[in-house]
Amino acid sequence: MSREVGESFECFGGRCAVRAGDADAETARWAVEQGRQTLLDAHRALSRFDPASELSRLNHDPRAEVPASPLLRRVVAAALTAGLRSGGLVDATLLDEIEAAGYAESRDFDRTHEAPDAPPPHPAAACPQAGWCQFAVDERAGTVTRPPGLRLDPGGIAKGLLADLVGESLADLATFAVDCCGDLRVGGAEARPRTILVDDPAGGAPLHELRIADGAVATSGITRRAWTADDGRAAHQLIDPATGAPAFTGILQATAMAPTGLLAETLAKSALLAGPEGAEEHLPFGGVFVEEGGAVRVVEALPAVLPEVQAA
Amino acid sequence: MDPIQKRELKRQAWMRLSAQRRRAGLLRGRVVAISLICFVLLWGIVFAQMATGNDPVLSGKEKAPATTAVAGSKRKVEATTSRELEPESRTDSAPATEEEVVEEPEAEEEFIRPEAEFEEEEFTEAEPEFEEEFVETEPEAEFEEPLVTSQS
Repeated sequence: MSREVGESFECFGGRCAVRAGDADAETARWAVEQGRQTLLDAHRALSRFDPASELSRLNHDPRAEVPASPLLRRVVAAALTAGLRSGGLVDATLLDEIEAAGYAESRDFDRTHEAPDAPPPHPAAACPQAGWCQFAVDERAGTVTRPPGLRLDPGGIAKGLLADLVGESLADLATFAVDCCGDLRVGGAEARPRTILVDDPAGGAPLHELRIADGAVATSGITRRAWTADDGRAAHQLIDPATGAPAFTGILQATAMAPTGLLAETLAKSALLAGPEGAEEHLPFGGVFVEEGGAVRVVEALPAVLPEVQAA
Repeated sequence: MDPIQKRELKRQAWMRLSAQRRRAGLLRGRVVAISLICFVLLWGIVFAQMATGNDPVLSGKEKAPATTAVAGSKRKVEATTSRELEPESRTDSAPATEEEVVEEPEAEEEFIRPEAEFEEEEFTEAEPEFEEEFVETEPEAEFEEPLVTSQS
């Protein structure tokens, strides 16, 4: 069994890591460095807090059809996939609403996992306007089309996608693991089952262990990037598309397993937004979610959906 | 060419290069291993031959343990010398010949010891070199921290 080398570094406003194992340790080390560079390049291109980033330029471009790099085109395509797969629950065009909630700039998050002043929980719903539907990608022309003024904030979707992209570049190696701020993609030519710990939204010991050889795990939650809004109410970055306000659905955190990072991220978000009653149907590959009050619910994968991805 | 394609081409080139390196490394390893084995075998043969008293220098003349053979040859040299010097020594006093006879064993010991030491040193030095070759190729420490999924 080959041993892994890895690097951990700051990226996407959090901590990322790339690990790889191969009989040729030099190749593994080189591949890890390439993976790190890919993530850092993507961070520079996709940061909404950097006015010079390609994403910011797209968001401020007055043209309807804007030339875009292959990475940005894939991100837009990923946002469309996420919207489709979640039935509109995951909408990457709610940047105005996020900014209105108080997350216009990179900021400190002052709230902990408890939000006693939060509104009564109710499931989120899709927005009839569905901004994400108005984006289109033209691969032949190398452009992204959308109504001018409609802005994109890929957020976690970009992290899931990047975990997949870096994972693809490491797929020839014996084993690999990519961690994009908690969105994980693991596999390799000699993929072996790994233990993945599910973080406690309250900051305590890990809540659960998942076993996965080749696939992805992503977690979405409302306790990490949470703050007190100007009007004194609890706020966070997961917006209910129907109301345009931070979603309080009765779930604090949802973790989803899936074959790809993008799908895992989409499923985790949609499970959280669906609330405790509807979360299970958004977790066909298995997962875990934490309800308000701290109850932990483990969802088993549907049989024969994905044999290689199994909950412990 | 976009950066992703460029990186992909770079990655493929690197893979080819690393495969080439791996093959070269394998060949190098084989050559080193075969050389070491040949070296050890050769020295083993020489050692065995010397230890059983079949010193090629003395081949066909005397077949005795190495130490005895060397002692014997020395004795011969000593004997010829003493015979050559006999007329002179005979003119000298008798105790002088006795001294020569007494000194013989000392001379033998001095000659034997370095040879024995030399043989032992050669073989004890060769072994650690062989071990080091394999210690160097030991892979580095395993990166086995568990992965944690958290809110992204």
